[in-house]
Amino acid sequence: MDTVARFDEQRLFHSTGRGHGAGLDPVDGLGLRPAPLAGYRDLARLRYDFPLVLVAAGPAGGEVRSLSAVIDGVLREVAPRGLEGERLRRHVLRLEREIRALAAGGTRSTLGELWTQASQRLASPQDPSVQQVLSGIGDKLDLDGWVVDCDGGMPADVVTHLWQAAQRRKGASFRRAVDRLVVRLSDILRAAFDRSAAGRQPDTLRATLGGAYRDAFDFGALSKLLVRNVPQDELAPARRQRIEWARDVLQSQPFHVDERLPAPPGAPAQLAFRFTDCASAVEAYRARLPRLAEVVKAIAIAELEADGRYVEAKDDPFFAHFDESALSPEDLALFPDYLVCIPAGENDAPRNAGLMDMLSSGLPVKVLVETTDLVEEAAAGTGHFAFGVRAARLANTATGLGGVYVVQAAASNLYAMRERIGRAFEHRGAGLLSVYVGTGAPAVLPPYLLCAAAMESRAFPAFAYDPHAGTTQAARFVLADNPQPEADWPVAPLDYADEAMQRVRQEVPFTVADFLLCDRRYAPHFARVPRERWNDAMVPADEWLALDAKRAADRVPYVLAVDGDDVLQRVVVDAKLMQAVVCTRTFWHRLQEQGGIHNSHAAILVARERAQWEAAAKAAQAAVQGAPAAQPSGAAVPQEAAAAPAAGDAPAPDAPARDPDVAWIETARCPSCNECQTINDRMFKYDANKQAYIADLKAGTYRQLVEAAESCQVAIIHPGKPWNPDEPGLDELLERAKPFR
Amino acid sequence: MTMPVTQCLIRLHEEHHQLEDYQGGVPRWCSGCGDNAILTAVQRLCRDEGLAPERTVFVSGIGCSSRFPHYMKTYGFHGIHGRAFPIAQGVKMARPDLAVFVNTGDGDCCSIGAAHWIHAIRYNMNLTAILHDNQVYGLTKKQASPTSPIGTKSNTTPRGSYLQALNPLTVTLGVTNVSFVAQAVDWIPELLYDIVRKAYLHRGFSFVRILQRCPEWLPKQFEPWLHDPGKTLLLTHRDGLAVPPALARTYRNQVEHDPTDLDRAREIASSTDPIPVGILYHNPAVPCYEDVHGVGEVRTAEQVRRGLEAEFDKVTVWPQGGDGARAAA
Repeated sequence: MDTVARFDEQRLFHSTGRGHGAGLDPVDGLGLRPAPLAGYRDLARLRYDFPLVLVAAGPAGGEVRSLSAVIDGVLREVAPRGLEGERLRRHVLRLEREIRALAAGGTRSTLGELWTQASQRLASPQDPSVQQVLSGIGDKLDLDGWVVDCDGGMPADVVTHLWQAAQRRKGASFRRAVDRLVVRLSDILRAAFDRSAAGRQPDTLRATLGGAYRDAFDFGALSKLLVRNVPQDELAPARRQRIEWARDVLQSQPFHVDERLPAPPGAPAQLAFRFTDCASAVEAYRARLPRLAEVVKAIAIAELEADGRYVEAKDDPFFAHFDESALSPEDLALFPDYLVCIPAGENDAPRNAGLMDMLSSGLPVKVLVETTDLVEEAAAGTGHFAFGVRAARLANTATGLGGVYVVQAAASNLYAMRERIGRAFEHRGAGLLSVYVGTGAPAVLPPYLLCAAAMESRAFPAFAYDPHAGTTQAARFVLADNPQPEADWPVAPLDYADEAMQRVRQEVPFTVADFLLCDRRYAPHFARVPRERWNDAMVPADEWLALDAKRAADRVPYVLAVDGDDVLQRVVVDAKLMQAVVCTRTFWHRLQEQGGIHNSHAAILVARERAQWEAAAKAAQAAVQGAPAAQPSGAAVPQEAAAAPAAGDAPAPDAPARDPDVAWIETARCPSCNECQTINDRMFKYDANKQAYIADLKAGTYRQLVEAAESCQVAIIHPGKPWNPDEPGLDELLERAKPFR
Repeated sequence: MTMPVTQCLIRLHEEHHQLEDYQGGVPRWCSGCGDNAILTAVQRLCRDEGLAPERTVFVSGIGCSSRFPHYMKTYGFHGIHGRAFPIAQGVKMARPDLAVFVNTGDGDCCSIGAAHWIHAIRYNMNLTAILHDNQVYGLTKKQASPTSPIGTKSNTTPRGSYLQALNPLTVTLGVTNVSFVAQAVDWIPELLYDIVRKAYLHRGFSFVRILQRCPEWLPKQFEPWLHDPGKTLLLTHRDGLAVPPALARTYRNQVEHDPTDLDRAREIASSTDPIPVGILYHNPAVPCYEDVHGVGEVRTAEQVRRGLEAEFDKVTVWPQGGDGARAAA
């Protein structure tokens, strides 16, 4: 069969998605995977981010650790340089592999328990010391926590763990502040009691003294003496009532309860703030709002009372009408955030229909929405794919609400984006965490690789939107967590051996077509081309997209794949799927613009500025050469403006001219030293800044004016000429005044 | 934590004070004394920043300058020689909500109180320290102080002082945790006010050395600088001092200095002629002692009582003597 005939078969398949069998093999059952993923077969043998350790009571920023990072930390502590250290390192790395395999096999347990299990599995009769050594190293672990692998339950576990850590920090800070207030309110009440007649009764006085000397005192006599001097300014009943009310409300506040302390008898059940649907969260929020307003009111009253700033005449009416409608976002930010983890597959449940309303109303709620499947048939019934539409619509709409903190990430990327997720819980107001978990697709890859492929291929790009991060979109919207965010597709080198067993390196892009090759539902849209039928009309999918329509019609796009034996294959992609690739790229371009990459507005501006600059440069060159040059439109720079020195270099302006015959003081330079006022405090007075000026010249003599000028240490008094020509000794005084004129 | 509601109500009730509201007794300083300019600058600061007199404390040691608290109608503590800093630190520790100032002289701070001064810098508590440096012991009638220039004739050094003067700026800039250092002169009141204000606004230990005239004992000391504005070097920067145009006409000797540059600050600080005026160093990132010590501890009255009892018990002479009595107690 000649080359033309081979190409016609491939073009037919590309155009119609049909034609398997005539030199084109169906991919279903071949076990193909994208060539860039060839090296990732057995994940348990690889060191990467997963599994994760959800560190119990970890420090801020260290609540979620990668198992590999934990192991590296242990090795730094226990493995010395040299042979012995190398032996330990080998043992511990084998143990890490075992733990990873256990986690991948579905074992849910703590790191400590998994460590023990893995040590037992590695124990061998030939070398009994191995288990002993590993157990000893395990004892040196200074952290523990649940180990989670990249599976369907992981995103909710990680998000909940980070949320709990943030609430613990917030709660500790809140309780500390409230405890301080309670102490200060109690101090006011105690001081009032100590000063009252009741506080000076014999029994009370006796209780205040240490046991050893109690018998040495006559408390009855002491009491009589002290009661006579009881001050009359006891706590007013209204104030006492107010302080006691605030103290009681603060002591019984149910929002931030210290879980480490035993609950006092009769204490209300601890409030829950984690929910699995939006409606329950909103109902709980509404029901608790009056109590929350009461606590806010008690805090405000306590703060004012503690500082002695409570003014009954003004504050009583204000607090009488204080209720939940007076609460501000700053008030709400002090209380626990609500967390809603919507289980996968229940995004469309009726109890979650109010998600957008909830987010837009600014409630202190963070919502985790999981997307299990990215690909679906378009609802319009056009036969095209509605690719990632739901997730894209959700996160983008939330971004458009303005005040919502949004993070979109694939599950595989949650560890890398843990800080951004943690910041979501520091955010005041609503937040949305949209995560792709990849469990809804019949995939040929494990969930971790499928999620990573979704993010790499731009099918589910990672981004974060922090509405309070700055005043510009560039500061608020971050796309940097994607690989090579400036490119259409991330490109990675692929090394392989050719027919002559020579090493070849090729740059391979990872497109959406590569991602879809991992999903068995889309196998009909691909066809493997046997090596003997490869031809020059086959072009990589990314290059095919760059062709114009005419040239594209003469080519067929393909992606590189490997089979179970790691043999490189070319897989032709049909037009319908390539349309989905184009749509994804368009969506990605829009995200790039939002993130300030290849921004079209900026590009237009830069082009215009460049054109103006080039025209101005040409005009300047022409002027130097004496030739007439066309004036560029909009590029003219006024000569005066161009020649003007920088503001910082401008010399200080000269002082305004003054009549040397009129007496005056450089008031701004007066150091308030009282010299002039000592001479005549009616002639010289101080202004609002306590600096001298001449208030009434005729309130004194010219002699006093001259004497003040002479005694002024900073020489800022200028006597001018005398107002009274009949004053005696003027000639001498005028002579003395000369240096100060 | 202060609730937005509380802040709103406090603002609503805020009283606006005049300069007179901060004026205590009539100063007994000599006529023409540079302390008057400092007093005025500080009173202006209190007024402009709306410092409530009942929430402001001035702590001093001993010396002419240390009479400062008497002339402020706020709380004050006229302490003992050299001990202004620990007293102020104690006040701040007990009442972090108060604005605490320290007024100290060159003898009080740099001689008998030098150890406290060094550690006050290191602790970096949120205090505003003003060093009134007239280069002489004035209250005790003219003795040489640590900052007296070499050759200064005084009652203790009738043939002129033998030692080079100690430079309070370079000393301060050499101490760990230094966070704010500035220098002002009493005869440029506008800049004096601006510098003191910036010192107050800095959260941490701000140290302002103010060169001040003593017309009684060293009347000629700063004359060359008073009569020649070119001998004063103004340090300007967008994060430091902005010289008003009217003043810039007189003081044209200016240089831009970035207050975050510690090495350059040390170089400038070592200059005595021209006298540098402005913010030499400013690092708001240095943690305050009150932010790192005892964070999270809430002391109830009962805990304080128990702690005191335990301390007293260590030195108690029990009437009956012996462990039995102690156990019974």
